[in-house]
Amino acid sequence: MRAVIATVLIIMVLMLWWLFIPQPAEPPKANSVVDMLGGEADAGFERAEQPRTFRFPQDHGAHPGFRSEWWYFTGNLETAQMRRFGFQLVFFRNALKPGEVDGESAWRSKQIWMAHFALTDVQSGRFHAYERFSRGAIGLAGAQPEPFAVWLDDWSVRQQDGQWILHAAEKGLSLTLSLVPLRQPVLQGDAGLSQKSAAAGNASYYYSIPRIRAEGEVMVGDQTHRVTGGVWLDREWSTSALGEDQAGWDWFSIQLEDGSDLMFYQLRGKDGRADPHSSGSLLLPDGELIRLGAEDVKLQPLGYWDSPKGGRYPVHWRLQIPSQGLDLEVAPVLKNQELDLLVRYWEGAMDISGTHAGKAVRGQGYLELAGYSED
Amino acid sequence: MNLLWRASLRYLGRHPWQMALSILGIALGVAVVVAVDLANESARRAFDLSMQTVTGQATHQIVAGPKGLDENLYVKLRRSGRLPASAPIIEGHLAYAGQTLRLLGIAPFAESRFRDLLSHLPDEAEEGVLRQLMTQPGAVLMSLERAQGFDLSVGQSFELRHSGQKRQAVLAGRFEPPAEQKAVMRDLLVADISTAQELLGRVGWLSRIDLILPDADAAELDAIRELLPPGARLIPAAARGTAMQKMTHAFSINLTAMSLLALVVGLFLIYNTLSFSVLQRRELMGRLRVLGATRSDLFRLVLSEGLLIGTLGTLLGLLLGILLAQELVQLVTQTINDLYFVLTVRELSLTPAGIIKGVLLGVGGSLLAVVVPASEAALSPPRRVQDRSRVETGARRLMQPLAWSGVVLLILAALLLLMSKSLAAGFAALFVLILGFSLLTPLWVSLLCRCGAPLFGALFGSPGRMAVGGVQHSLSRTGVAIAALSIAVATTVGVGVMVESFRTSVQQWLESSLQADIFIAPDAPSGTGYETALNPAVVQIIESLPGVAGIRQSRPVEIQSGDEITRLTALRLPKESYAGMKFLDRPPEMVWPLFDREQAVIISESYAYHHGLHAGESLELETDQGRQPFKIAGVFRDYETGQGVIKMRMSLYRDYWADRSIHSAWLYLEPGVDIDLMMERLYRLVGEQQALHIRTSRILREASIKTFDRTFAITHVLRLLVIGVAFVGILSALMALQLERSRELAVLRAIGFTPRQLWGLVTAQTGFMGLISGLLAIPLGLVLASVLIFVVNRRSFGWSMDVVVSGSVLFEALLLALFAALLAGLYPAWRMSQTPPAQALREE
Repeated sequence: MRAVIATVLIIMVLMLWWLFIPQPAEPPKANSVVDMLGGEADAGFERAEQPRTFRFPQDHGAHPGFRSEWWYFTGNLETAQMRRFGFQLVFFRNALKPGEVDGESAWRSKQIWMAHFALTDVQSGRFHAYERFSRGAIGLAGAQPEPFAVWLDDWSVRQQDGQWILHAAEKGLSLTLSLVPLRQPVLQGDAGLSQKSAAAGNASYYYSIPRIRAEGEVMVGDQTHRVTGGVWLDREWSTSALGEDQAGWDWFSIQLEDGSDLMFYQLRGKDGRADPHSSGSLLLPDGELIRLGAEDVKLQPLGYWDSPKGGRYPVHWRLQIPSQGLDLEVAPVLKNQELDLLVRYWEGAMDISGTHAGKAVRGQGYLELAGYSED
Repeated sequence: MNLLWRASLRYLGRHPWQMALSILGIALGVAVVVAVDLANESARRAFDLSMQTVTGQATHQIVAGPKGLDENLYVKLRRSGRLPASAPIIEGHLAYAGQTLRLLGIAPFAESRFRDLLSHLPDEAEEGVLRQLMTQPGAVLMSLERAQGFDLSVGQSFELRHSGQKRQAVLAGRFEPPAEQKAVMRDLLVADISTAQELLGRVGWLSRIDLILPDADAAELDAIRELLPPGARLIPAAARGTAMQKMTHAFSINLTAMSLLALVVGLFLIYNTLSFSVLQRRELMGRLRVLGATRSDLFRLVLSEGLLIGTLGTLLGLLLGILLAQELVQLVTQTINDLYFVLTVRELSLTPAGIIKGVLLGVGGSLLAVVVPASEAALSPPRRVQDRSRVETGARRLMQPLAWSGVVLLILAALLLLMSKSLAAGFAALFVLILGFSLLTPLWVSLLCRCGAPLFGALFGSPGRMAVGGVQHSLSRTGVAIAALSIAVATTVGVGVMVESFRTSVQQWLESSLQADIFIAPDAPSGTGYETALNPAVVQIIESLPGVAGIRQSRPVEIQSGDEITRLTALRLPKESYAGMKFLDRPPEMVWPLFDREQAVIISESYAYHHGLHAGESLELETDQGRQPFKIAGVFRDYETGQGVIKMRMSLYRDYWADRSIHSAWLYLEPGVDIDLMMERLYRLVGEQQALHIRTSRILREASIKTFDRTFAITHVLRLLVIGVAFVGILSALMALQLERSRELAVLRAIGFTPRQLWGLVTAQTGFMGLISGLLAIPLGLVLASVLIFVVNRRSFGWSMDVVVSGSVLFEALLLALFAALLAGLYPAWRMSQTPPAQALREE
């Protein structure tokens, strides 16, 4: 999982910081950043302390009682001529304070929204990434369960005629997909309760829809491509942060051609070692869900990419789950899939090859690398 | 050359008073020009900076009618994906502790590409400022300087007032703007758009949407326009600033013209001094020619003297000007706030351009003024003792050609007035007129002397005749001094008659238009009338008051289209108020039915003048339902604004604009109802709801006249300065004259004149000059007044007025000239009478 609570917290903090300095932003000073956010806000928020009953479609909507929440769409797309694209469209919600708003104005809101949109164009070797911010008020940004919608400005995923229509566009770039989930939501962790660090409540509620059929159009420049492919949705909401000694994570989502879906996140400590709270799941074609702990998965970096902005990302991996007979090589379709945004991180489309229970298997997936950039 | 310079310096050194007065004259002239220029420039710069601060990087804006934009338009635009670089803004003014503060409501996430307002917060101790701004009602940011001035600390609650209503605010943080923005941002409050909507009582509305469309072509702009509802308009960001500056244009031109007048009088002075000095040294010059000095040497010498005096005067003038500007800028700001919009000018901006302009005018003008005396010097024949009478004969011979050139200039002035309709041409004509008149002065002086000699002879005996004769015989001196004084006095006559006429017309207009008994409006700072409104509860209370025969309700708004701002007032008029409107070109019976029932408006005289409109024609206005035509039912007299106003019945306004607010109300009481009791009652009933200005019409009339007088305060100050310069002029001319005549006077003493008689002679002479100046000033003053009233005022503001010439203004002018002359003659007279004849004779 990449959706570690602290991420968004840090993102939000940095975002606050960014507002106070004219662009281009100076590297933020950690102390001021923490000061600015203040420490008071926790008390009124709900916390993920024990397993809960998930209900759909209600849980596709927002949970404003928790501090942060996200809707994470990643996918691999292909034209009939086998031209590859990867995309990421993610909506983050963060509450500045718990509770209802006061006052008459429809603009007042405690909810801040941020969205990232990235497109990997393998053929041209180009990676595009954009971000947007808004308040969660007056219809500028928000999420609702029925009909399902999550949006920020014109970037959105909206339910229409039983399908989800995903749309995002920037100058010279546009993506429109209709999505049909092929699986039921998978509850990660302990029936959806995903523990991030040792302290009680340092956890999130986490579910995924690992296989969603996508069909639509990618427009790059003045060219429009018809595409089909598979999308992964990660949903998570929480209030409290990573432990102080945690530095970042490596998150894998893998869809294998044999019908298995694998999610695993490896939390890293500041000492560079894998954290015992690393966890994941393997959903087998027959619907059996296998929980994975830190000790079940062996991860070994095979190759690195050095960002021109600083930081060395392990973008090429070998992932082994001996108990399941799984041995996979996870290779990026493009090495530079770094989102050079307010918060810099690497997230990109991957090619998967290897063996599962002795049989050769291929697949596609997404990898997120956080906590490697130096700023 | 050395010799020449030594001679020159020695001469200048021996006449320190003359030099000092010349320098002072130039200094005063330059000071006034520089001060006015600085004050104008500072106001303009303050305006530009404040526009820049609030416009930021925006290239375009979406604006709408008086009510503003529906906030949902912004959401629609954002969700369309067409305008990612867009920021909603709501702004208005609030009062705190007697200060007017400008509130800018922003959406922080949309902001960063537009303005760097949030970048001026200090790093430390501003914990979670943004969180507070967005989530806490009333949270505002204020400049550190203001916060300290108000003694407010972060986290402290305080009570702002908007439109007379209390609003609770809390200081979320203090920003420290960079030096160049300090003055502009000092009175700025920054808040989240939610808070700003609540503080300004405009929930649901935006003032505008800023856009960044750096290279949008017409097609792209049209595509955006298609997304807009009727009534919303896409305009370049600079348009509003241009439109606002247009309003004050006439005002600043008028100030500049007044200041130039002061300089012209100053230039007369330098001309007078130097041509006198040349005459006084005619013998010396002759000797220098013999010693080998060429004509061009002498020309250069006098020119250099002029340059020296001009430069010294200019330098002193610059210093004085800067000092004077400090005061003047307050007056200018006050006027702009009274008449146009809220503007705070706290700093004088000393621009190199303003200083250079002053230097060029001072030094250049001095050189120009000195060309004639310098040529005179160059013409000095070698050795030949040119006696006084010869010079004067020459001067008299010049009298006629001068007079003819004067006539030509007067004709030119008339042509200028007829040929061009521009304000600048009006002022140019004014100056040509003055110049032409001054060229005619020697002729008039000569004529008046001929008539005056017998009269003074009869009154004072032979000293009287001698006094008059002295004036005529020194025409080359006295002519200039009299011209300078009469121009100065004429200026005061002209301006005085104009102001008096204006004031009388305004007073009459106030009398007729303010016939209601009680006026009610929210208590708000001046210049913010467009954004204030009576609380609906207050309106309800007023409407149900017993004892009220009729209520006149009004809602003034500003409508922007293109780069013009139009003032429109929507009115609900009771029948009682019809008589208060004076229509200029149609009988009221014809106007009112149209106004009451048709799609028609009435326009003020200024508006009609500026737009070349007449009753029966029609005009178009940007309404909330797009551009709409309105018939012009009539043109009414009005002195409210110089750029004019359109009035419309309330019901028609509400058909076209989604705005229901009422800004103010006038009550007409039933006969026998006591005004004071009614006011007390009103205070009791509505005082809780809203802080209000409740005034009787009488008080309001007085306040209006006070505002009028305040507006002309600058004019009065400038007038006094012009007289000051002229006074210095006449003083120096008389000193020169009397000193020059010291030998003649010594002879008189020697043949038996007592000091007292001599004193009388000199006084009679200066008195006579003053009298002539005063007499000449009156016709010129009346002509100036006519130009000011019928040309300058009309072209600036489109106002017409009844000319009022009171005997007292003319009498005062005469007295002023006489007094100035006599005062200026005191010292020379005293000095002459004190000097022992032998010494005076020896000195020569």
